[in-house]
Amino acid sequence: MLLSLNWLREFLPYEGSAESLGDRLTMAGLETENILRPYAALKPVVTGLVAECAKHPAADKLSVCRVDVGDEVLDIVCGAPNVAAGQKTAVIRAGCTLPGGQKVSKAVLRGAPSNGMICSERELGFSDEHNGILVLDPAVPVGKSLPDALGLDDEVLDISVTPNRGDCLSVFGLALETAALTGLLPTVPGYERFSGGADAASEVALTVEDEDLCPLYHGLIIEGLTVAPSPLKLRCRLNAVGVRPLSNLVDATNYVLMELGQPLHAFDLDRIRGGRISVRAADEGEVFTSLDGKERVLTAADITIRDAEGVICLGGVMGGLNSEISTGTRRVFLESAVFHPGAVRRTARRLGLHSEASYRFERGVDREGATPALERAAHLLAALAGGRVRPGLIKKAAKTPPPCSVHFHRAYAERLLGATLDARFCEKALRSLGCTVRDASGGLRAGEENIALEWDVTPPARRPDLTRQADLAEEIVRIYGMDRIPARLPGIARDLARSGQPESKNVFLHRIKHWGRQAGLNEIIAYSFAGGRELDALGLPREERVPVLNPMSEDMDVLRPALIPGLLGALRNNLAQGAPSVRLFETAAVFLGLCPKPRRDSVPDPEAPSPSLPGETLSPETSQDAFRASVVREEARLGIILHGARASAVWPALPGDLDYLDLKGLIEHLLLELALPAADFVLAGGDAPGYYLPGVDIILQGTRIGRAGRVKEAVAERSHAKKEVWCAELNLDILYGLHITTAVRAVPLPVFPPVRRDITFVAPRGTRAGDIAALAEAMKGRIDTEIRLADCYEPEGTDARNLTFRLTFRRADRTLKDAEADRQLGLFAESVRKTLNVAVQQVEG
Amino acid sequence: MTLIAELERTAAGLTAALTDAASAAEAESLRNAYLGRKGELAALMSRLPELPADERPAFGKAANAVKERLNRLLEERLAAFKAEVDNASLSRFDPSMPGRMPERGSLHPLTLVLEEICRILNNLGFETVDGPEAETDFHNFEALNFPRDHPARDMQDTLFLADGLLMRTHTSPMQVRAMLERKKPPVAVIAPGKVYRRDYDQTHSPMFHQVEGLLVDEGVGLAHLRGVLTHLLRELFGPDVTLRFRPSFFPFTEPSVEVDMSCVICRGSGSRADGKGGKETCRVCKGTGWLEILGAGMVDPAVFAAVGFSPACTGFAFGMGVERIAMLKYGIDDLRLFFENDLRFLGRFVK
Repeated sequence: MLLSLNWLREFLPYEGSAESLGDRLTMAGLETENILRPYAALKPVVTGLVAECAKHPAADKLSVCRVDVGDEVLDIVCGAPNVAAGQKTAVIRAGCTLPGGQKVSKAVLRGAPSNGMICSERELGFSDEHNGILVLDPAVPVGKSLPDALGLDDEVLDISVTPNRGDCLSVFGLALETAALTGLLPTVPGYERFSGGADAASEVALTVEDEDLCPLYHGLIIEGLTVAPSPLKLRCRLNAVGVRPLSNLVDATNYVLMELGQPLHAFDLDRIRGGRISVRAADEGEVFTSLDGKERVLTAADITIRDAEGVICLGGVMGGLNSEISTGTRRVFLESAVFHPGAVRRTARRLGLHSEASYRFERGVDREGATPALERAAHLLAALAGGRVRPGLIKKAAKTPPPCSVHFHRAYAERLLGATLDARFCEKALRSLGCTVRDASGGLRAGEENIALEWDVTPPARRPDLTRQADLAEEIVRIYGMDRIPARLPGIARDLARSGQPESKNVFLHRIKHWGRQAGLNEIIAYSFAGGRELDALGLPREERVPVLNPMSEDMDVLRPALIPGLLGALRNNLAQGAPSVRLFETAAVFLGLCPKPRRDSVPDPEAPSPSLPGETLSPETSQDAFRASVVREEARLGIILHGARASAVWPALPGDLDYLDLKGLIEHLLLELALPAADFVLAGGDAPGYYLPGVDIILQGTRIGRAGRVKEAVAERSHAKKEVWCAELNLDILYGLHITTAVRAVPLPVFPPVRRDITFVAPRGTRAGDIAALAEAMKGRIDTEIRLADCYEPEGTDARNLTFRLTFRRADRTLKDAEADRQLGLFAESVRKTLNVAVQQVEG
Repeated sequence: MTLIAELERTAAGLTAALTDAASAAEAESLRNAYLGRKGELAALMSRLPELPADERPAFGKAANAVKERLNRLLEERLAAFKAEVDNASLSRFDPSMPGRMPERGSLHPLTLVLEEICRILNNLGFETVDGPEAETDFHNFEALNFPRDHPARDMQDTLFLADGLLMRTHTSPMQVRAMLERKKPPVAVIAPGKVYRRDYDQTHSPMFHQVEGLLVDEGVGLAHLRGVLTHLLRELFGPDVTLRFRPSFFPFTEPSVEVDMSCVICRGSGSRADGKGGKETCRVCKGTGWLEILGAGMVDPAVFAAVGFSPACTGFAFGMGVERIAMLKYGIDDLRLFFENDLRFLGRFVK
């Protein structure tokens, strides 16, 4: 909301600066974002008198003028058709800059010198008028700065008005607010009344079919009008607050809209067919051409104003082309109505038609202000366009709802605010806002001073946001000064019943993150969105995706069903920066769609009640959640991506590039860190994600907890990866469940010494180390057997690997004899040979 | 030659040999040759019976003195060799060589700031809760007193999913969930997490992070909100921080407060030294001395009604943007850095 300070002063004797008013309003909840001086750039423009004006000898369309600007007379060549001697004009000297930034310089035009410019309205930023120069009132003194001469020294406050304060969307509303904050007395304007008599009522038969959609509809008829531009001063004032001046008829309605906050609409009465106006919901599918010439298809939720033949206006949103004011308009039906805020909002949103009018109707306009605004506008319109207001208000209004009365306890406000409030102050503050305050303490009096503890408060009609004690407490603290509230730390009570809960999911996630950091990984945070096309390229199934209905862009039109898009994106960013070693992790939710739904083509009205919501009642949050869970499943995941040199240092460093064993080692390390048993890593089957080759399923106690693998070259190349890219995603929901149910127990330490033996197998291609180790694990009995891979050597020119295992044998009850260990080792070698057909190469020990 | 003279000659011999010895091992071998059980000194001593009885004590004494002297010489020479070795190894030792560092990982700056905020509030007694990011309209809007068709919904441009679900636009649905789950006061929770708005430019990200705080208990008032927020922001930005409370509007709080913090760059003065002896307007607070830091207020009675709490309840709620806090704390001036995940950026933040 742009507030002109000069305009405000017509209602309030405010003498302070724009800055201090801005500060006061900001501290009362009306944040002043900026202070504008819309005509400050006009300072170099001066008023001048065209003393002489003659045709340019060498150019048909140019005139050579001598213009008196007070301290000198300038030669100016002017191209405007309307320039003439004796005019008072706005002149800018050569060397000065116009408001639009254009610099005027000395010139010689076809032999005639020009030392300045006579300005049009467009050059001054007043309007788009560019067909001729601006001709000023003959009474304007010559040689004055234009803003001074026209009284354009205005300051404009740009105020951000919160959605609850529709009453502050007008100069008058802000004057009342400022009055309450400063204690100044506002001038409440009185307007000429036209409601007497019934002369006009015979002209238009008015019906309102749905009083819920339109609780009030008033109109006046103004006749004998002549459409013309408004006076310059009025146009400048509208322009200063961001309203484009059009013609006297339209400007008058806009002026009153800005001044009093009541939207008005002027119909050309001669274009209203059948002498009838009715207000009702549109017919479903009805077509209407709005002022801007566009055809709109209406729904039964739209409010229409109609004449005998059809729709002439979309109530509260936009007028119709068929009843529009034109240059030939002589008679006007001026409407001042109150429309249902929600209905106006739905229509404006659906059609993308947001106007000053719909903005105010959405926030609620004051019923009591509708008639004074209508009369003010009718009067102004008649005055500007030379017309006459027909006496008699054409009106339909629902019964005025009873005023809202709030029973207000001072103690409640004191508790809510945590501050002590003086009773007389509270009363005065509420009264200053226009509330009626009645002592409701009955016989109760605190102390001797006759101070009320409770009141019955009736807020003014313009404040529909004040309906409860909390609302009044806020009003009091706004006047009191929110910033005067003291600071106190509360003692926070805790519920013993909540003690002893398992580690929370949050703590668990932090545990994972800290593990990642300590494991030498860098945490990333990527967007939860992905592009459908990107997911297609990764081969992620379409039916599991959750589309965003109104995405910001094509590459953010789906919620990510896996972390890999973000991991690859971060890899790409870092490779572009030349990072030699990239090891990243992320913990985040992925989103999986549960029921396959056809992709909707257009965004439905997002605020329309959802047809598939079970029931319209608010209470059963469980059904809400059950419904939510049936549509989308969120799964917490840990994603890891590795690429490039194993060590980020050059020297001293581990040689080689990050590979599968690095990735697997990290996962094994994490499981140890979470006190979980070791997982099996098995080559993934056909349902593995298509972007891995090889892909590995990670199985813990029979449950797949995640997947790992090498990102296929074709996919990795899109991230500009030159080396192997290894990636893993683990389901943190499963790990969390396992972690919180796992107890860590101490075990007795072995007392008797172990016997160690190394054994080397020549394992042909296809023999998995894990299978050999599993055979040793299977031999555990009275003799405890531990097996670890000790070396892996691939002799050149062969197809086999030499796998050396270190076995540790031990008995819990006595020292194991060498011979027993050797026998055990022999059994193991035999079992490997028989089961896997793998020969022993060497035994040491 | 007398025995005494031979004694002296032996001593001189070892002294010379020690001087000539090139290594500790050579010196060590001289110990056997001269001072060992079969060494030269022992051989001389074994000739003691050759002397007249009255000369024997003097010779014995002299021989012991020589042995002691030679032993000392030998030890000194060995110590010298040891020192030489030490010196040599010291001269090879280069303390300026790069260390063999374990790979350094890092936590995202937003994680660090979130953890810090949670730690501070956990210590005050707030419990951390979580909730889904794809939310129902009920939890994200309706229960928070954003009626359908209300302009307050314009304040949060929403990303919609199918079937009426949406991406939560703030962390406040988690306060709704916490109240529904606990069924009655006291409720003291914080809810950190990702939130989503349909907004994408230099200063807006479609995904960002918030921390929500909620305290509902007997006698909780606006002064307590101010106390908790003052504590939180001082813990984050230092003991000089002051807060400013301005009235505002949020559908789910009444009264609603916009909280400003004294500028952490210019310490609330609005200007700072320009490095040329003068002053310039603080760019972070644009000269106002204040930074908009979070929104808060007393829980609106309509929210209590939606979750089935008694209308006599009072409580406060606040919600803060984590990116904003992180930018101020670390001096980050570009929001996009948080989501580009450049290692050169990520690796900087250790606390």
